[in-house]
Amino acid sequence: MLTQFEHFAITEMMGKTDNPPRANGSLCFGSQWERSSFGMALALAKNGIFEWDDFRDELISTIKAWEDAHPVDRSTWNYYDQFLAALEKAVVKAGIIDPEEIRAVLAA
Amino acid sequence: MIDRFQYREDREAYSAARVKALEALLIKKGIITDKTVDTVLDFFETKMGPFNGAKIVARAWVDPSFKDRLVTDTPAAIAELNLPEGMAGAEGEHMRAVANSPDVHNLIICTLCSCYPWPVLGLPPYWYKDPTFRSRAAREPRAVLGEFGLPVPEAIEIKVWDSSAQIRWFVVPERPVGTEGMTEAELEALVTPEAMMGVAIAKAA
Repeated sequence: MLTQFEHFAITEMMGKTDNPPRANGSLCFGSQWERSSFGMALALAKNGIFEWDDFRDELISTIKAWEDAHPVDRSTWNYYDQFLAALEKAVVKAGIIDPEEIRAVLAA
Repeated sequence: MIDRFQYREDREAYSAARVKALEALLIKKGIITDKTVDTVLDFFETKMGPFNGAKIVARAWVDPSFKDRLVTDTPAAIAELNLPEGMAGAEGEHMRAVANSPDVHNLIICTLCSCYPWPVLGLPPYWYKDPTFRSRAAREPRAVLGEFGLPVPEAIEIKVWDSSAQIRWFVVPERPVGTEGMTEAELEALVTPEAMMGVAIAKAA
């Protein structure tokens, strides 16, 4: 089926725990870093750095871990926190970035 | 992976720094460029989304002959408007509009996300793929619409349109009363994806 990867990737997430926040049919981001996390994950999957399905599995398990750790008070929930954590795991797993490199940049 | 996520006072700034670090590393390694994120998201933000459907519906509201052409030959009518390229390609080529009237209310359904007119409606809502929604909407649309907060009087016929790989339907809701003096741009703001799916009606603000 002819389709845009971006649309395919997002619609695959609809109705699942990893469903990204939307408003009125459009994706919505609370800040620039949320938007960048999302865009990077899409771009990396589109470029074949990792499979979108594998990234989603990572995201789903990251969300589950957060939910298990916050069984009652979920006031600190932010979807894109989980998204970013999953993205960091995915790029490390793909072997394109070493965790040390991220630490070094953050410490600089 | 860097630190197991913990709540921090400065977590917003910390998250922003992590993303910036990641993006900088990917750019440095030549995996992405500083334009990549914008390019990928531009698709959702400016090209394909419910804002296109809103423009089409608003035009149909102000121009009855356009509305006639829209339901007769949807792609040709859409091509008259100055919408982003691709509206008629990919998933957009099979779109068909159905117009609500005082006697008929239209509802679109489909279980597959691929069968959704996303160039005009954007991303489908989570429940659209739900088999329960689809089967119940086909069987008892009036009850389902009632649960959506849209009671449809018995006198009004409900038509259910099942989108498929051949045809992807969208609804032209009725122009709300009290919008007579509004401009086309003002009218666009009243058109929601839900109204274009038929699970809501357009309302004047």
